[in-house]
Parts: sequence; C-alpha cells; structure tokens
Amino acid sequence: MAAQNPRHDHHTTKPKDLHLPISRVKTIMKSSPDVDAVGPEPLYLVTKVTEMFVIDLAKRAFNSGKNNTLEYKHIADVVQEDDTLDFLREIMPRKITVRQFKELMAKKAAKGNKSDDDSSDQSSDSENESSGSSE
Amino acid sequence: MAEKLEDLNLPLTVVTRIVKEVLPDGVAISKEARTGLAKAASVFVLYVTSAATNIVKSNKKKTMTGQDVLEAIKDIEFDRFVEPLSEAFEQYKAHMIAKKSLAGKRKKKPMKLK
Repeated sequence: MAAQNPRHDHHTTKPKDLHLPISRVKTIMKSSPDVDAVGPEPLYLVTKVTEMFVIDLAKRAFNSGKNNTLEYKHIADVVQEDDTLDFLREIMPRKITVRQFKELMAKKAAKGNKSDDDSSDQSSDSENESSGSSE
Repeated sequence: MAEKLEDLNLPLTVVTRIVKEVLPDGVAISKEARTGLAKAASVFVLYVTSAATNIVKSNKKKTMTGQDVLEAIKDIEFDRFVEPLSEAFEQYKAHMIAKKSLAGKRKKKPMKLK
C-alpha cells in the first residue's frame, strides 16, 4: 500500500472526482467510537462509497415512482423493502397522516390484538390535524 | 471534542448536486427527499466506519486502512460498489503518487548533470 502522507488534511486538495467535503466526512467518522486517526486513503474510500450510495439510493427511489419527481416517500419505500438498508429504517420511516394513523389504529382495535405486528412503520408526524374526530 | 450538530450533516447543496447529475433533466426533487438523502448519507458514513473499525479491531490493529474499508463494504453487503470503488481508488493512488513525486522533486538536492 502506498505510504500515507501524514500531512495536515486541511492542506490536502480534495480529489477531483469527489463532491462531498472530505473534511466533513472526516468529522463524522471521528465522531464514531474507537476511531483514532483517519488517513487519506480510508477517508477517500468512505467519501467515495458514500457518494455511490447516495446515487444508488436516489436512482432506485426515482425508478420506483411514476412521476417525474423524486419524493421522500419513494426513498422510504426502498429503505423499508430492502434489508441491506435496515440501518436507515429508523431515520427514514414511512410517513402517514394523523388521519391514516387513526384509521389504522381503529382497524386494529376492531380486529383485536395482532401480536405479530411490531407497527414500526407508523409515524404520525407528517401532518397537523387539530382535533380528534376525523370525519 | 464536541461537534456542532450541523458538522455531522453533509451539505444539502452538495447532495442535491450529486443526485441531479444522475437523474434525468427536469426531475423535481422534494425538499424532504433531499434532506432524507443527506441524512442517509451521514448515517451511511457512520455505518461503514463502524464496520471498518470492527475489522481493524479484529485484526488487532489500531489504524484503519483502505483495505479495511473495502472489506467493511463487503461485510455490510454493498459488494456491488467494490469494483467501481477499487478502480477509482487505483486512480486516486496513482494521482497521489504523481503529486508526491512532483512535490518531492522540488525538495531534492539538485541533480548533478553531466
């Protein structure tokens, strides 16, 4: 492996094929426990693969929708359906309206308890509805 | 070493630019989608870093290498990135060597020319 240059990173020019700021990526990496020094090679790779990841996720999300738009919902769907994206599930839940959430809860109550459902997909924070009664 | 919260985020403008480059012209990207992708990218950095750190530890080493990162990417099941990434890495390394040798020439003692 090529010898790593221990010079200060803020003097290093960003490799021309990278878009993401390597200084920021480095900050994030160093916030991780047990990370000591981060040399230029791992830093380059992590930055580059993260860009690839974003591109990949965006393309998949876009292809799964029908319009000429890329929306959060498309991304959340991809995340929920792909197990390799499990690490994103908490930060990218599917979102439903308060009304939908209430309807869902009402349905569940009517059917009785279903113990196999962990209802981790529901969050009711995407819309502001003032009162309890929906229609 | 406290980081400000925004330091752990990747810039929205850059993420948007990356995404616009690969989608067809004229595609609208909602603000929520952009924010979501930026957050996902930050989380991904941590995810890869954590996987790479595990490899470093299991090898009883202290410092992360490029190879550790490549192994980590396979561990987290993103093998499909390894080949294009390795190619880019080779180019990067070649570029760094060329840069270093150029810088080194300025520092070396003047060559005796015959």
